[in-house]
Amino acid sequence: MKTAVFWGCCILTDQLGYEMSVRETFPKLGVELVDLHESVCCGDPLKSINDFAANYLGARALASANQTGLLDLFVPCNRCHFTISEAMRNMRQNQKAGRRIKEFLKEEGLEYNPEIKVWHTIDLLHDRVGVQKVKKAVEKPLKGLKVASHVGCQIIRYGDLGRVDDAENPTKLDELMRALGAEVIDYTEKLDCCGSALMRSHPDSALSLAGSKLKALQALIVDGMVVSCPDCGLMFDSRQKDTATIVGVKLNVPVLYYTQLLGLALGIDEKKLGLHLNQSPIDHLLAKISA
Amino acid sequence: MSLIDLMTMATPNLGSRKEILARLCGRDLVNCFQCIKCTSGCTALKLLELKPHEIVKLVNLGFVDELASSDIIWTCATCLKCLQRCPQKASPYHVIIALQNLAVKREAKVPEGYLKAVSHILETGLAEPSRKIITRKMETVDRECLGLPKVRCPKETFQAILMKAMEENP
Repeated sequence: MKTAVFWGCCILTDQLGYEMSVRETFPKLGVELVDLHESVCCGDPLKSINDFAANYLGARALASANQTGLLDLFVPCNRCHFTISEAMRNMRQNQKAGRRIKEFLKEEGLEYNPEIKVWHTIDLLHDRVGVQKVKKAVEKPLKGLKVASHVGCQIIRYGDLGRVDDAENPTKLDELMRALGAEVIDYTEKLDCCGSALMRSHPDSALSLAGSKLKALQALIVDGMVVSCPDCGLMFDSRQKDTATIVGVKLNVPVLYYTQLLGLALGIDEKKLGLHLNQSPIDHLLAKISA
Repeated sequence: MSLIDLMTMATPNLGSRKEILARLCGRDLVNCFQCIKCTSGCTALKLLELKPHEIVKLVNLGFVDELASSDIIWTCATCLKCLQRCPQKASPYHVIIALQNLAVKREAKVPEGYLKAVSHILETGLAEPSRKIITRKMETVDRECLGLPKVRCPKETFQAILMKAMEENP
């Protein structure tokens, strides 16, 4: 399968480990990635300021994808995936706004294509590539590794929009982790939000939300937390030390992207997966895998 | 000042209420029967005292001006649980977004983080500045030395057209 890819601001400027691990692992599973001609925000921060402009940028992402001539757009970020999906819904349901957006796009030499299907890491690997194919590709099964997933919010809610998994009981990411040979644990706080959206207005509360979840997970003694959204990765991995200061406990939870875990199981070199960029203490987890 | 304090002196403004309803494009705000499922699952309830059912009720009663100038509408974590669980499809999330948009239009106080993101998008196309990337062993790296392709900026027309879109108010 050949798909266009819309990375989003957070991955391109900060969460490079996610980008590196996707670029390494996807071709090994038969997914060829085609970068867009330019990198522009999906419109998410604009939602609170001007919903019309946010929908314009969301539609613009699809119009950029249309330039590649491909009908699949892979969006690895939960927030971008949600914003682009809402823009698609807006283009369908709000004809007046849709017409205006198309006119603006035309001025930029772009054309909106409603036929493009938007994918996320979870459904592309689970539904399109398939769990069996992922399982077959594993070279180093992650036997004895106990991990917990954090799916994130905007990729599973709201159901009416068409999301990648069940809103209250998501299982696909867990299945993908089991396919690598890992043991997956369930936990009460699984659906709790990482708080990243509050970083723009209430950073302390945002860090407190992330810290509380990490604290709960730490008590369960797991080898790591697996994420598939750059905003969640930023909160739980890059900012883990800050969250620990806010909640007032020492936190030592290894956090990594599903695609990094996948890469390890496929036998790819740690550095190529950007694992040296993770800020949480993942060395113990890496040692356990390579042992 | 809390929302309740604001309310004691308030009178409903049905014109503002109509403006919110128009922004919601037919979402069923008026069907809310105050079951409080939204508030009981709200991510921002515990830390920031956001109560989505109150917001919906106040909009329905016409106290929109007070909400638009209140800080409470900027406490939403956008986890979308309220929207998912609402049995009446009243979508507190979209009500909050509509109130935020109205607050911006009225030049009320907006958290700086949002304004920074907007000016960054207009300047570079991206909402975030490129940051210094440091490895776990404290080495500084960048996209190039990690073997990642350059970030490609949009054409010059992008800024002018986004500005135009932001002035649009359909």
